[in-house]
Amino acid sequence: MAIPFGTEAWAQALCAQLNASSEYRNAAAKWGKGFNGTLLLSFGADGKLPEPRHLLLRVAEGTCDGATFVDGIDHPEAGFGLEAPFSLWKDILEGRQLAVTAMLAGHLKVRGDRFKLLQHVAAQRALLHCVTSLDTVFPE
Amino acid sequence: MSCGYDARMDPLYAPLQARLTGAVFTPDQFGRDLLTNFGHIHHWTPRFVVEPRTPQDVVEVVRFAREHGLPVSTRGAGHSQSQLAISQGGILLAMQALSKILHVDQRAHTVDVEGGVVWRDLVHFLKKFSLVPRVLTNNLGVTIGGTLSIAGIGVASFKYGSQGDNVVEMDVVTGAGDLVTCSPEENTDLFWSTIAGLGQVGIIVRARLQLRRMKAMTRTYYLLYDDVRRFLDDAKQAMDAGAWDHLESWASPSVQGTKPVEGRRQVFARWFFPFHLTVEFDAGSPPDDRALLAPLKPYEHLYTDDLPTIDFLERLLPVFELWKRAGTWEHVHPWMETVLPWETAATYIEQVLVDLSPAVQVGGHVLLWPAKGTTSRSRLFMRPEGEDLVGFGILPAIPPQYWAQMKPMLAGASDLSILMGGKRYLSGWIEFDLPTWKAHFGARWDWMKACKRRFDPDHLLNPGFVPDEVDRPAPVEGR
Repeated sequence: MAIPFGTEAWAQALCAQLNASSEYRNAAAKWGKGFNGTLLLSFGADGKLPEPRHLLLRVAEGTCDGATFVDGIDHPEAGFGLEAPFSLWKDILEGRQLAVTAMLAGHLKVRGDRFKLLQHVAAQRALLHCVTSLDTVFPE
Repeated sequence: MSCGYDARMDPLYAPLQARLTGAVFTPDQFGRDLLTNFGHIHHWTPRFVVEPRTPQDVVEVVRFAREHGLPVSTRGAGHSQSQLAISQGGILLAMQALSKILHVDQRAHTVDVEGGVVWRDLVHFLKKFSLVPRVLTNNLGVTIGGTLSIAGIGVASFKYGSQGDNVVEMDVVTGAGDLVTCSPEENTDLFWSTIAGLGQVGIIVRARLQLRRMKAMTRTYYLLYDDVRRFLDDAKQAMDAGAWDHLESWASPSVQGTKPVEGRRQVFARWFFPFHLTVEFDAGSPPDDRALLAPLKPYEHLYTDDLPTIDFLERLLPVFELWKRAGTWEHVHPWMETVLPWETAATYIEQVLVDLSPAVQVGGHVLLWPAKGTTSRSRLFMRPEGEDLVGFGILPAIPPQYWAQMKPMLAGASDLSILMGGKRYLSGWIEFDLPTWKAHFGARWDWMKACKRRFDPDHLLNPGFVPDEVDRPAPVEGR
């Protein structure tokens, strides 16, 4: 059953999806090893999303230890932040835009050590695929 | 005459032909091979194809084009993969018609050639003098004017830079229709905006190339590495040792099974790194294997091969023939080639190879080439800062029906390379937007565009690839 985007149920479902994905487990085995890999994905408000949403993903070494929506773009637990307008995220998640292309164009903003993120780009690609494959009701 | 087309119906046919000693062809007269290039991505139809017989023919074509507002594109062997070597409604100059080897100076170790000479023909011609161009591309079936317009990278580039760095002098027909001699000392803006200049300012009709003495034999050591970082350590050692004449390497897959990549199961591989190090030697004076290999730490030394040097230079010909027989030569070739900073190269290569399908080896390969940025003076062959660089290329042959599926992977690899400080090598498949073009050339962009305005004032030469900015104010000249 499709879960509305931006809800706690959606965050929990994504965490479960990550833990069930052998693709993510393998691709992200080194992500968060020896450094804080917790991610904050910020979905900026735009025409389709009236209020911004910030998803904190506690991910390390191929597993998800929890996911929740938090209030602000700055969160003490986050090691890395990825920030873009919601419509761009949707383009990325639906395969119309590559995350690295959005990053190169400066539309997908990175907080934290960008090179570290690029060192694990295959892990982030597998993560985004888990988000994509989650049966989601996105705001229209 | 097919399709009811009559060349005489084109009002410009007769006046163009009347100006030339070479031949003019209209769409009913030339083959479909001229509608695309090796990339097989873009398909354009020129209004005329001209086979110039003399440099003056090229001058006349450009002057005629200016008079009639026709774009002019140049085609050597057509090995380009983007919007080069094809023409949409303009004049396509088939430069292989200008194929004379003009003069060898054995004392100065130089040769003068016309722009349409194919490197293979030159190499075989020079054999009797025991001379060879300093840098040769892996594929010798391309023209001198073509590779000089891109840069021209080969297995000796770590010593001698690009082919463009080994040009002593050129005759160039500018977009203004002038025949101008230029060199690193004379008409330098024209010279350096023509070398690796993507045909934007002029057409190379003659080049004087620096040669070197060639020894009769080569010995190649086939080393294999199981770790990209150890390979790079040895590649750097080999570049610095001063003992090697040619360095060549690949990434080679060992297929392991299938795994999900973005949800779709695909074959995946453990990648290994063959490293071929070659020295030339005179018969009777073979190299000291032990001394050469002592500093290197491969996973395995597989083979040692002695070949006449002329055969070494043609070493990939059987591979290309195999690809042609298999039909993959006619597939889509969106080659993604990039030059990486040494510091990020290993990480980049690991990230790209982890999900790269080994099917890329069907009619193609994954190349690595250790390089020295300091060996090149070229202004428009863009490379990262730093002395030690690594070239990396995914060179696939993709059946047309799979191109759309493969494109995001190659686009992602391209963008990731740029994010990691790399510079794309522009001979391959390029789909830059204007900001990316500007970022690619950086501070050289304004100089390049100023040269375009100065030497091709009507913006007629090789349109459709590098974006035009006709309305921009003129920037400051110079390097």
